[in-house]
Amino acid sequence: MTPPGGETGSVHSPAHAPHGAAGHSNEESYQPVLLGGVRDELNRILERYPTKMAALLPALWLVQDARGWVSEHSMAEVAQALELTPAYVKGVVTFYTMYHQHPVGRYFVQVCTTSPCMACGAEDTVAALLRHTGCGELGSTSPDGKFTVIEVECLGACGFATPIMINEEFVESVTPDKVSTILAQLR
Amino acid sequence: MGETQMVTLTIEGRKVSVASGTSILEAAKAAGVLVPHYCYHPGLPVAGVCRMCLVEVEKAPKLAPACASAVAEGQVVHVHSEKALEARKGVLEFLLINHPLDCPICDQAGECELQDYTYREGRSEGRLQEPKRFNPMEDFGGDVLYVTNRCILCTRCVRFMDDVAGEPVLNVSERGDRAIIGKFEGADLTHAWAGNVIDLCPVGALVSKDFLNKARAWELDRTPSICPNCTQGCNSIVETRDNFVVRTRARPNDEVNKYYMCDHGRLNYRWMNEQNRLEAPLVRQGERLVAADWSTAVDHAAKLLNGKRAVVLASPMLSNESLWMLSKLIRKTGGLGLFTVETGPEAPLLGVPDLALRAERAANVRGAEMFGFERSSSPLDGIQSGDVLVIADVGGMPLEIDPSALARASASIVIGTTLPEDARSATVVLPVTNVTEEEGTFTNVHGRVQRYLQARAAPGMARPAWWALGDLLEAMGDAAGYFLASEVFTALAGASPEFAGMSYESLGLKGARLQGSRQPAETTG
Repeated sequence: MTPPGGETGSVHSPAHAPHGAAGHSNEESYQPVLLGGVRDELNRILERYPTKMAALLPALWLVQDARGWVSEHSMAEVAQALELTPAYVKGVVTFYTMYHQHPVGRYFVQVCTTSPCMACGAEDTVAALLRHTGCGELGSTSPDGKFTVIEVECLGACGFATPIMINEEFVESVTPDKVSTILAQLR
Repeated sequence: MGETQMVTLTIEGRKVSVASGTSILEAAKAAGVLVPHYCYHPGLPVAGVCRMCLVEVEKAPKLAPACASAVAEGQVVHVHSEKALEARKGVLEFLLINHPLDCPICDQAGECELQDYTYREGRSEGRLQEPKRFNPMEDFGGDVLYVTNRCILCTRCVRFMDDVAGEPVLNVSERGDRAIIGKFEGADLTHAWAGNVIDLCPVGALVSKDFLNKARAWELDRTPSICPNCTQGCNSIVETRDNFVVRTRARPNDEVNKYYMCDHGRLNYRWMNEQNRLEAPLVRQGERLVAADWSTAVDHAAKLLNGKRAVVLASPMLSNESLWMLSKLIRKTGGLGLFTVETGPEAPLLGVPDLALRAERAANVRGAEMFGFERSSSPLDGIQSGDVLVIADVGGMPLEIDPSALARASASIVIGTTLPEDARSATVVLPVTNVTEEEGTFTNVHGRVQRYLQARAAPGMARPAWWALGDLLEAMGDAAGYFLASEVFTALAGASPEFAGMSYESLGLKGARLQGSRQPAETTG
């Protein structure tokens, strides 16, 4: 058996990369993420929980904050740090949609397209976002690497349709004509 | 350990008493009622994820999963009530939403629990209008192929790797309708016992690459046997098609292998089908070995042995019966018996005490030792001038015959399935059957005597070695030989104190322990 996260065995079969293999190619030279300040932060998190396993979700957030996404190498690293198996960590990462299993843009834009927002023109907002960011289609990253736009279910702001989330920031009442201004502030 | 409290309940109108803590599913089994199930397996921790074992319990507010519900005193359980059937019909409909229904090209067809329960309890027609989810197949490594679309996510394979094999490389990846069995990159199912996930899979999702597209389940003849590939003696089923072994699988035995069998034992069956077999007795005439009938060959062998010492090199793959007959030949001629055995790395299954692929790769090393054969790395050194060398070889022993040792012997007799290259100078050759072509018993590493049955027809004139040896001893002046393996067993059990109290019938298909041998797996005390 090849040890998970070793130098070999980083070839990704299509079955394991449903989003395409983009970004996997430079994984050959994987640099550990749980070092220095990130490791200190993990140790602080671990103090809050009775078991190491309980710290899995925050540990994964930590990795995602540091790297922008959670690669299989990172999963193996987290597994080792928390005394879990890589397979278990992968099961958790793939269960939740909030962990990125492939690289995303610097700004991760989530647009609510649930019924009330849809009724208020969310589809046009999505189209405007895709056009102005240069992403082209939902889920893919713009050529400049700055944006990824996805649809999400209810963001809990039905009174302020259409809400969008840019990374951690919440922006309400977004209409197609406001999109370019919002994006300009980010560039 | 306190007294086990018994609980009495009624299942499908049948009263049954079981120990408290037993699941309704196991209690129903004891009452002779099958509760349909997928995720439950007696060898694995309970998961309760498939919902197929829902049953109606009187006075309970809702249906209960029989695998995860403990019995209670006075409970009345209905397995086939309208409410329970309706619920299970719903479960089956959900399971079939994304199932490809590719039974005509699926290896599991005919032995598939999804087929069986759908036939019994499912809807006669589907109502799904939408396209089905599709995921590509994945090679899980080892002998295992994962056909994703057929998977019902019972997680038996995940639990086996986690809790029994102790090598947790499988998981449930994604969620909801996207969920599949996943495997971490680079971590293949190369564990020595990983092939068991194929047996455990209730549907055609995990299939054997070795058996892929080889046969349909209903074409196979199944014979209870004992795996001959190491001294552990796992109970097995030999499956043949047109007189060829095409698959071997584990046969449950709580005392030996539980429900499991290692990949080495499972896949090492091709030698059983070997085509390069001896099919007739051969007798030397000058430079050539010439085919002869049995009595001619046996009489010739008897003459060779007359007044000579027999040095017997025996394969530890021979049955107790054949080894015992050989030991009689040795005693009669004042000779000696030796054996060698192939070895390989040992591979334990962590979750089951005292179960391992043993280092000695032959079934009956214990039997050979018991009947007085000595382990020797250079077995032919003991041959003295004038001795007769008898090679009884049905596999499992490395055979290197030194020509100078052969030259010291006055003659050599081969009793074998094949004629080894080094033994071409034999004077008499007697063709015998291999483990799949005869019945008999082996004694395993823990002293358990276990029967195997005949799975295939023997090639040509080949006979079990005990039969050939009985005739040989008769030709040398002993009493008449035997016609049945059971007769030989009765005779050897009468003559060997370790076998006291054992009969061929009482061994059944689960075997019995020798006198004085303790099953190490026992932890009671």
